[in-house]
Amino acid sequence: MNDRDFIIDRYKDLLTTYLNGKNETALYKGQQFSRKLIEQQISPEDVVSHHINVLNDLFPDMTEEMKDAFDFLLEVMIGYGFAYREHQSLRTRQRQLESEIEVAASMQQTLLISDVPTVDSLDIGVKSVPAKKMNGDYFNFVKDDKSISVAVADIIGKGIPAALCMSMIKYAMDSLPEQRMQPNLLLENLNRVVEQNVHPNMFITMLYGLYDTDVHKFYYAGAGHEPGFFYKAATDEFEDMFAKGLVLGVSRTTKYKEYEKQLGPGDMIILLSDGVTECRTSKGFIEREEIVALIRENMHKPAQEIVDSVFHELERLQEFELRDDFTLIILKRMV
Amino acid sequence: MNLQISHEETNGVHYLTLAGEVDAYTAPKLKEMLVPLTEEKNAQIVIDLANIDYMDSTGLGIFVGALKSTKKNDGTLKLRGMTERVKRLFEITGLTEVMDIDNEVKGEAR
Amino acid sequence: MDIQSCVEVCNEWDIVSARQLGRNMAKELGFGNVDQARITTAISELARNIYLYAGSGKICLEPVEQMGRKGLRIIAVDNGPGIRDIRKVMEDGYTTSGGLGAGLPGVKRLMDEFTIDSTIDSGTEILATKWLR
Repeated sequence: MNDRDFIIDRYKDLLTTYLNGKNETALYKGQQFSRKLIEQQISPEDVVSHHINVLNDLFPDMTEEMKDAFDFLLEVMIGYGFAYREHQSLRTRQRQLESEIEVAASMQQTLLISDVPTVDSLDIGVKSVPAKKMNGDYFNFVKDDKSISVAVADIIGKGIPAALCMSMIKYAMDSLPEQRMQPNLLLENLNRVVEQNVHPNMFITMLYGLYDTDVHKFYYAGAGHEPGFFYKAATDEFEDMFAKGLVLGVSRTTKYKEYEKQLGPGDMIILLSDGVTECRTSKGFIEREEIVALIRENMHKPAQEIVDSVFHELERLQEFELRDDFTLIILKRMV
Repeated sequence: MNLQISHEETNGVHYLTLAGEVDAYTAPKLKEMLVPLTEEKNAQIVIDLANIDYMDSTGLGIFVGALKSTKKNDGTLKLRGMTERVKRLFEITGLTEVMDIDNEVKGEAR
Repeated sequence: MDIQSCVEVCNEWDIVSARQLGRNMAKELGFGNVDQARITTAISELARNIYLYAGSGKICLEPVEQMGRKGLRIIAVDNGPGIRDIRKVMEDGYTTSGGLGAGLPGVKRLMDEFTIDSTIDSGTEILATKWLR
């Protein structure tokens, strides 16, 4: 006797028990039994068919109308099973895709992870959180003898296409070591790579800067990136850190301008992605002033705690539903 | 969240008037409408954005693609009537420098 | 062997005729109620595909015998646009797309054997067989 036959017999037993006693225990057993049916991949029409056969055995004098009615049910259940099984198989496929994306996302993390450098004179905090599984924001630090370079980029679009594009950016930057000390030249070279390799609808915004730890100057250039903030401790004021320049990938011959800031003790450079300023809450957009207020509220803390606190507060305001990738970096001069 | 697009052609110029939001969800609709126009030889396209109250970077990407495509086919693309929020987006990304943008004329000068 | 019986499919009523023909033949061959219903559902899906996406075509049915087994074969033929990517229509989920070839994975599940042959611009032929158990 195979499993299927066993199940038919079992169904007959359960049904008979119920018909004789009409008690809750029998019904409970029937409910448990339905799991067995699913495990054995018995289709809904098969169940109805078993039911009909059992009834025919138990009540040989069932009326013709009753039998016809069951045939009608059978027909309906076939259609139901037809759609149900397709649904099941789509769910299985969805799970497979999800686990593949999971693998890709963790690969992306390992590929792109950038260690946050430690130097005595700078306190650095970084928070980068993807809205979905794959992060469309990118940041990178490189530490040299007397400098630290930092890049923040936002690839338009989200998800997998953005992630693929980002890998390209990373390797393009790695292959331009001699430009690392000149932010504007680095962007010009990167722009040519991007222009030749991305879809016409795609572009990348980037802010690239170099912090000279000897003289405490920050040299930077921007390619259409959301402006950061500069905090001057002496005046206790925040100002926008504009760096004008066209986004990467639009025009091959774009030139970029280099800017610089002199940092005193306690001064901060705040870099972000537009996911920070484009946060949408039930009350509307978060304005840049509100971000500044959040940073001000927390700025007595170490840099990492500041970015963590700002993120948690924004996450709360958006009711824990991130619409865009979020990246916030703070460089604070210590001494 | 929605995007309405109306299209009319006067003296060989395509006028597109957009209303609503251009974001990751509505961008495909705009792209479908706009791309064939930009691929015409010497096409002249004017897009009115006065009633667009939100645009994200994916939306911006559609205009970048359209700009490249019109240039390739010797056409022109003009944007006008941007709201402050949309204008800021074009300014930050530096696109105001490479695109033909006319925010003074708000639809009346036809 | 018995000759084929065919139903031309041009409108929705023809789908019902094809089902009726299938049910009669299945009953005659000795198929039980469940298999009869499976066969008619498969016929329905194939005929709907012809009616909705190919415009016109026919459903033919023939009793078959192979190595002592008896069965019923459905042959669905149309002169429609053909299916470009058969592998794709045989994937679950295509049903919802509403195009030629919708529901074929389900038909394959209902029947025991299933083959499909399609040429762009000249049409599609599907053979589906159910064996008596």
